[in-house]
Amino acid sequence: MSKIFKQAYRERHPYFFIAPAVILLTVFSIIPILIAFFISFTDLDLKGLADWSNINFIGIENYRELVSDETFTTSLINTAFYVVIGVPLVIISSLTIALLLNYGSNMLFRVFRSVYYMPSITNIIAVAVIWGYLYNTEYGLFNYLLSIINVDNIPWLEERTIAKISLIILAVWKGIGINMIIFLAALQGIPRAYYEAAEIDGANRFQVLFKVTLPLLSYATFFVTVTTLIGWMQFFEEPFVMTDGGPLDGTISIALFIYKEGFQYSQFGYAAAGSFVLFILIIIMTLIQFKFKKSETQY
Amino acid sequence: MATVTKKSRFEKTLVTILLIIGGIIVSIPFLWMISSSFKPESEVLNIPPTIIPENFTLENYVNLFESLNFAVYLRNTLIIVVFSFVGLLFNAMAGYGFAKFDFRGKEKVFYFVLATMMIPGQVTMIPVYLLLNEMGLTNTMAGIVLPGLAVAFSIFLFRQFMTTIPTDLIEAARLDGAGEFYIFFRLIMPVAKPIFAVQGILTFIAAWNSFLWPLIIANDEGLYTLSVGLSLLQGQYANNFALQMAGAAFMVVPIIIIFSFFQKYIVEGFTMSGIK
Amino acid sequence: MKKTKKIALASVMTMSMFLGACGGSDDASGDDDKTISVWAMGEEGKQLKELAEKFEEENEDDIKVEVQAIPWESAHDKLLTAVASQDGPDVFQLGTTWVPEFAEAGAMLDLSEHTDDYPEFEPDNYFEGARETMQYDGQQIGIPWYVESRVLYYREDLLEEVGYDEAPATWDELKDASSQLADRSEDDYGLDIDQNDQITPFIFAWQNGYEVSEEEAENGDFNFDGEEFVGAIEYYHSFFDEGISQTSEGEDITKAFEKGTKPMFFSGPWMISVLNDQAPDIEGQWGTAVMPEQEKGTSSIGGANFSIFHNTEKVDESLEFLSYINETETQLEWLEMSNTLPSRTEAWEDPLLQDDPMYATFGRQLEDAQPGPQIEEWDQLTQELLDSIERINVGGADVEEEMANFNEKAEGLLAE
Repeated sequence: MSKIFKQAYRERHPYFFIAPAVILLTVFSIIPILIAFFISFTDLDLKGLADWSNINFIGIENYRELVSDETFTTSLINTAFYVVIGVPLVIISSLTIALLLNYGSNMLFRVFRSVYYMPSITNIIAVAVIWGYLYNTEYGLFNYLLSIINVDNIPWLEERTIAKISLIILAVWKGIGINMIIFLAALQGIPRAYYEAAEIDGANRFQVLFKVTLPLLSYATFFVTVTTLIGWMQFFEEPFVMTDGGPLDGTISIALFIYKEGFQYSQFGYAAAGSFVLFILIIIMTLIQFKFKKSETQY
Repeated sequence: MATVTKKSRFEKTLVTILLIIGGIIVSIPFLWMISSSFKPESEVLNIPPTIIPENFTLENYVNLFESLNFAVYLRNTLIIVVFSFVGLLFNAMAGYGFAKFDFRGKEKVFYFVLATMMIPGQVTMIPVYLLLNEMGLTNTMAGIVLPGLAVAFSIFLFRQFMTTIPTDLIEAARLDGAGEFYIFFRLIMPVAKPIFAVQGILTFIAAWNSFLWPLIIANDEGLYTLSVGLSLLQGQYANNFALQMAGAAFMVVPIIIIFSFFQKYIVEGFTMSGIK
Repeated sequence: MKKTKKIALASVMTMSMFLGACGGSDDASGDDDKTISVWAMGEEGKQLKELAEKFEEENEDDIKVEVQAIPWESAHDKLLTAVASQDGPDVFQLGTTWVPEFAEAGAMLDLSEHTDDYPEFEPDNYFEGARETMQYDGQQIGIPWYVESRVLYYREDLLEEVGYDEAPATWDELKDASSQLADRSEDDYGLDIDQNDQITPFIFAWQNGYEVSEEEAENGDFNFDGEEFVGAIEYYHSFFDEGISQTSEGEDITKAFEKGTKPMFFSGPWMISVLNDQAPDIEGQWGTAVMPEQEKGTSSIGGANFSIFHNTEKVDESLEFLSYINETETQLEWLEMSNTLPSRTEAWEDPLLQDDPMYATFGRQLEDAQPGPQIEEWDQLTQELLDSIERINVGGADVEEEMANFNEKAEGLLAE
């Protein structure tokens, strides 16, 4: 076989494999994103949706307005707060739980796999009601428990910084499940031979963990880190159901800001601009991670 | 299946205790959700909340089935589930393509795929709707199913895991004269069982709970799904929590069944210890 | 400007056309000419089906109705997409606060020219407050279907203990009664005010003599820093300041009302059935009363209208249906089905409403009730207002200063 022919033959298959998914993504994600990008330079609102002749091109006006919008700035800072604290917390807790769950495989451990998965499938209204109770300043369980050991009432959702932390705790609780099963699947993917080899070399428990298990989990960890970071940068549901961004915009996130502007106030142009800022930020963060990952594997 | 073969009894007890304590803390809201579905409305918002209903009732479930057009909603939901598994296959194929082949523009295309994960969903809602409208797919099952078939998250996850499959394995099969699709279906899929199990769970849950598109695309209640039907129970001002919890509990049961079914495969893990 | 239009059209159109080639465009779901589609929200949407069946039986033109129930939480999204694609229902329900926004977008058919043929559409049939929501820019864009208003709910037994045999009738009495009730113990409050409610601050303001004309509202000339509005917010704030109302998220109001820790609150008609169902133990110990007066005893009016989608092909059929739905008799039937209040004043002469003391309160209040300013930016405006109030109640900001800020923001909002 000639070289060129061989290459063409080789290159045929990957396109077959990726084509269905890529075409669908192009039609239902990429093109809509481009349209949304265009919208971000217009003053599109409900009137504009009804009749396109009401749409005006306003250049970078939306972006300029964003810069001077205090609520948007607050949402940026809050989102940074969520990401910096939340992401490591979720990754560490889900990895820890996965490691513990991977410890055994009898009935008890199997049941616990489901138990730890439960928060992520609990209905959001149930989550709001029950966590609302847990965090209630006067009647809440947390403050009741604290009062037993003589600690004053904590305003869980009523002080700007504490409220952010409260939402992070809630989101970690809810976010463990999915990452945990990804780690579990990855742990199962590690061939037993590696452990056997380590044991023969006389490695102790911690050496096995840090020298064998964690390095072999690097693909999964990378995946979880990237997706968790993207997810947390789009932090939305928790403030949406628990605080609606309050107190005094203390918990508003960028995604919630976008939602409010776009779907409550119908300022689609402005909301699209907001989401492009968020989009760019996420891309930057993701690229940094990919860079970091590359230099790591090259050593 | 043990990750570490020698385990002291002490260590195992410790791990078990840790898991039990954590498990209880983690599952309280879930238990509350289930128990509330058996409470009369007057008891649901009691402070402190009761985990065991004081006045046990099945009324919420009776109401639920009376007010739901159950058969139709279930049928639609199941159709979406079936199609989403077709989507799952597409995602797996794409993940495999990105993981195990070299081709021109691979990195760029992959970054495009990733990029679709990064934009807040609400922003693309209206453009996607307009596109579907132009294609004449509003008020059709195709319009509901198509936009959700390819999922960047899923492709990325498949790619990550398939990268860890040794290339030698594939090369060996190629030398034996196996076709690329044969390799994918017969060799790769069995090896990637744990990750298919994870994806199976996630895909099922997403499809089972699908809400916004069925609602937006449907101009006819004949296309509503279970979640849409359930959300009709919410009032504008006053909410009937007990009824909603019954609905939520009802939605969760199949998920738990599916979870225990698939997690078997996660736990089974790699059986080929022969590979290096 | 023209150029931008072209770009907008071109970019969207090319993509659409490219994709449009892939599928046929057969949107009418195979229904015959006499079937109209109706969108209604939540539980009401489901109940409306029964009423629609009656209509199908009774009308002489063989008009069929297909009701689609839409969940409240997503109704706005669903309506947006309908407006965007110009492919909506024939008739749709619309919460009154959404009316200006969708009217501005031209989503509703002007009914003015049909008023002569359909006496049910005559504005005089409806409560004065509801009439405002029927009009936009001189067009008649909807018919009130049902209404709601806010009144005072109070525990008769507990108010008696502090010397009130009847509900407080003035601001001073309300303040006096509630502060006495709040003094009962540390865990007790006097009056519950929902700090997230959009309309409550306006209700206080109207009672304090605040007025804003349609024209002023459209120009952003709200005068929120005027004496009346500021005075109302000061009064509102004093309840929180003096510990009469709970600042933090406390217990659910139904429970607290049952226990007596929050013996008074303002709310709408839906609370009647909620209290009957969820707090059966205090039956007969609570009542409803019209708003306490300062200058006036005005409350708000809200509810839902029915409108006809602007590009429907079935105008006559839709009009028939709308007319049927708003007959006095149908409205009374609807009251029994859904517990929502009729919008037609005539319906209120019926003994069903006259003899029920709870409903009767609402009947009286509705005669002195008005909607919030009819502006598209209503949601944004009230969000700013609630933020300001939060800064006052929680953050300790000065009322006058904060209201001056808010007034400025409101001006900016409307100027856009």
